[in-house]
Amino acid sequence: MLELINLSKKFKQVHAVENLNMFIEKGEIIGLLGPNGAGKSTAITMLSSLVEPSSGDVKFNGKSILKNPAQLRNIVGMVPQDIALYSDLTAEENLQFFGRIYKIKGVELKRKIDEVLKLIGLTDRRKDVVKKYSGGMKRRLNIGVALLHEPEFLIMDEPTVGIDPQSRNYILETVKRLNREKQITILYTSHYMEEVEFLCDRIYIMDQGNLIASGTKDEIKSILSAEKVISIKADNMNDAFIGSLKENPLVNRMVVSEKEVTIMAGKEVNIFSPLIKMAEDSQLDLHSLDIKTPTLEDVFLHLTGRALRD
Amino acid sequence: MIWQFIKKQGLLLWRNPMQLLLVVGLPIVLITILGTALGGTMNGEPPKINLKVALIEHEDEEKQINRFIEDFSDELPPEMIESIQKGEEFRFIQTLKDTVFGHEDIKAFIDFQEMDLKDKDQILNDSTYTSVIEVPEHFTYEMLEGILTNQNNQPALLVLNNEGSQVGAKIVNDILVQYQDKIGLTNFLAANHLDPSILQSTEEMRFSETVSINQSQPVTSKEYYTVGMAVMNVLFVASTIGTFAFIERKIFVFNRIILANVTRWIYFSAVCLSGTLFSFFHLLIVFGFAWVFFDVSWANIPLFILVSSAFAISVGGIAALLTAISYRFKSEVVTSFFSSILVTIMAVLGGSFFPLGDSSVLLQTLGNFTPNGAGMSAYLAVLRGDELEAISGHLIFLVCFGFAAIAAAAVSFPKRGANI
Repeated sequence: MLELINLSKKFKQVHAVENLNMFIEKGEIIGLLGPNGAGKSTAITMLSSLVEPSSGDVKFNGKSILKNPAQLRNIVGMVPQDIALYSDLTAEENLQFFGRIYKIKGVELKRKIDEVLKLIGLTDRRKDVVKKYSGGMKRRLNIGVALLHEPEFLIMDEPTVGIDPQSRNYILETVKRLNREKQITILYTSHYMEEVEFLCDRIYIMDQGNLIASGTKDEIKSILSAEKVISIKADNMNDAFIGSLKENPLVNRMVVSEKEVTIMAGKEVNIFSPLIKMAEDSQLDLHSLDIKTPTLEDVFLHLTGRALRD
Repeated sequence: MIWQFIKKQGLLLWRNPMQLLLVVGLPIVLITILGTALGGTMNGEPPKINLKVALIEHEDEEKQINRFIEDFSDELPPEMIESIQKGEEFRFIQTLKDTVFGHEDIKAFIDFQEMDLKDKDQILNDSTYTSVIEVPEHFTYEMLEGILTNQNNQPALLVLNNEGSQVGAKIVNDILVQYQDKIGLTNFLAANHLDPSILQSTEEMRFSETVSINQSQPVTSKEYYTVGMAVMNVLFVASTIGTFAFIERKIFVFNRIILANVTRWIYFSAVCLSGTLFSFFHLLIVFGFAWVFFDVSWANIPLFILVSSAFAISVGGIAALLTAISYRFKSEVVTSFFSSILVTIMAVLGGSFFPLGDSSVLLQTLGNFTPNGAGMSAYLAVLRGDELEAISGHLIFLVCFGFAAIAAAAVSFPKRGANI
């Protein structure tokens, strides 16, 4: 359906995206994972035809969209990371305006507005101006506007940023439903790996403008097949212990937080005894030592040496 | 399609009370303040002056004349004596009372009162009097003596002016100086044995009717400042539209619009048309208010509509240009600079705050090269009763300015594929 071929974008001296190759098949939910500034949004604006790439091509059904983007735009719905709505208009007025610019009129427009408002759970608040909405309601309407013209392909750029868990779950369930019931192809970008894990069939991981991994969840997690992930928790995590971990050749990578250190070590290596000894030497009040099932976060750590949300 | 954008802009403006107040409320408030404060300063008629002048005589003039005739009957020829007995020109104070302060034109703005000497203190303490003219003892006697016996020591009137009414006092003094000139001429004629009655013609000329060469209707202060404030504040419509458009870019609504396959040119045209239409309605609202509350009416409605349309086109052009520049530089600085500084400069140059008639030719020319200045000149000309030929230059300028701004905006507006 859609192909990105060696897509690059350079802003002055900065490579926002470099040689990105992706493909999206009809009916899939594709995750584009990466930390802030990884180049996800730039990639999306290029594939949705809003910005011309510095080099490379975007093909929709085998045809380049760079010269003639209209065909792709007709079937694309875009949910931007920001709330792209008129906050002084009501939900209904926003939907009416965007519906009309998609050339939807009269009874059909009314039907679609009712349908969308029902889907996003805002029927009762349709007459309220958007600025009176909660963050979650704005996010839902942000999605609703993108669905009004019944797109075949929905691009969602971090649609759950800054909202409460309840609204987040609502949105994630809605995305699942849209894909399942309406067969909408979805490209979902996020830096929340659990969202991508929950929703997506295939995943692309980006960092610093480059694609660093791609495949199904299992394929990506298998990158960590040669390593195990160990979580160390302690109430008094101290510099002496962290220093010992850094110097230990058995520890391949590590991420430190206030009361937890996550390390990666070879699958065949027995690291528990050295870990306990290091904890004793550092007078660490060890709470737990767990071997974790690898997550996409761990894969990202493995690939970049940094946590996804650094 | 374009109508949807215009409707949406209208709704946004309606839901934004602060913006609405700035665009529509401010000119109405300013017109009310300026129109009321500056009331009659430019109503095309002489300013209303109400002066109060008192005259106090220390001695009866007729008695002085009789005494003079008795004292000098031996020294003066009989015909001169007869002339003094009958001639008004030797009754200086009576003439001052009847001919000068009693003249219809002077009476229209000077309340002249003859008072007794005993009331002098009371009058001097009364601030409603502009001037008090005190005629000293033997004034007429000494005047006659000075004129007819060639003595140099002539008496003087004592004029006491109210310090709080300097303009009024100056007017009274000017009247007295003029009268003094006339007496001087009388002296000269009498000394040369000529008939002083020939001075009558001079007096008639002085109070003859003044005919204005320009037959146009005068513009009142309310009319002037209604036009001044309207043409200045309508410029804020352009910055408001520019701001709305910039916010659309900032919150990525513009991206949504582009993805709906709306071309940049439709969007651009919608901005331009919104600016033009809203400006036109803005002018109708402000002038409508001035018509209802200040009686600022337009005798030539079609010409008024024509000027408003041309002016609205130029404001629409500015709105498009501000939008294009803010999109090009991804910054609202230009729009803010326009609304906070440039509008004020343009308003000063255009004559919104004060008439530029007394300014340098350069300033006047610059003023007419601003859209608000050209608009103002055209409106004022219509108010004066001028016809289309007289304002065609301003109309052409306004329309050309609008289209030039649109062309500049079209060139500046980011093209397809550019990063917005």
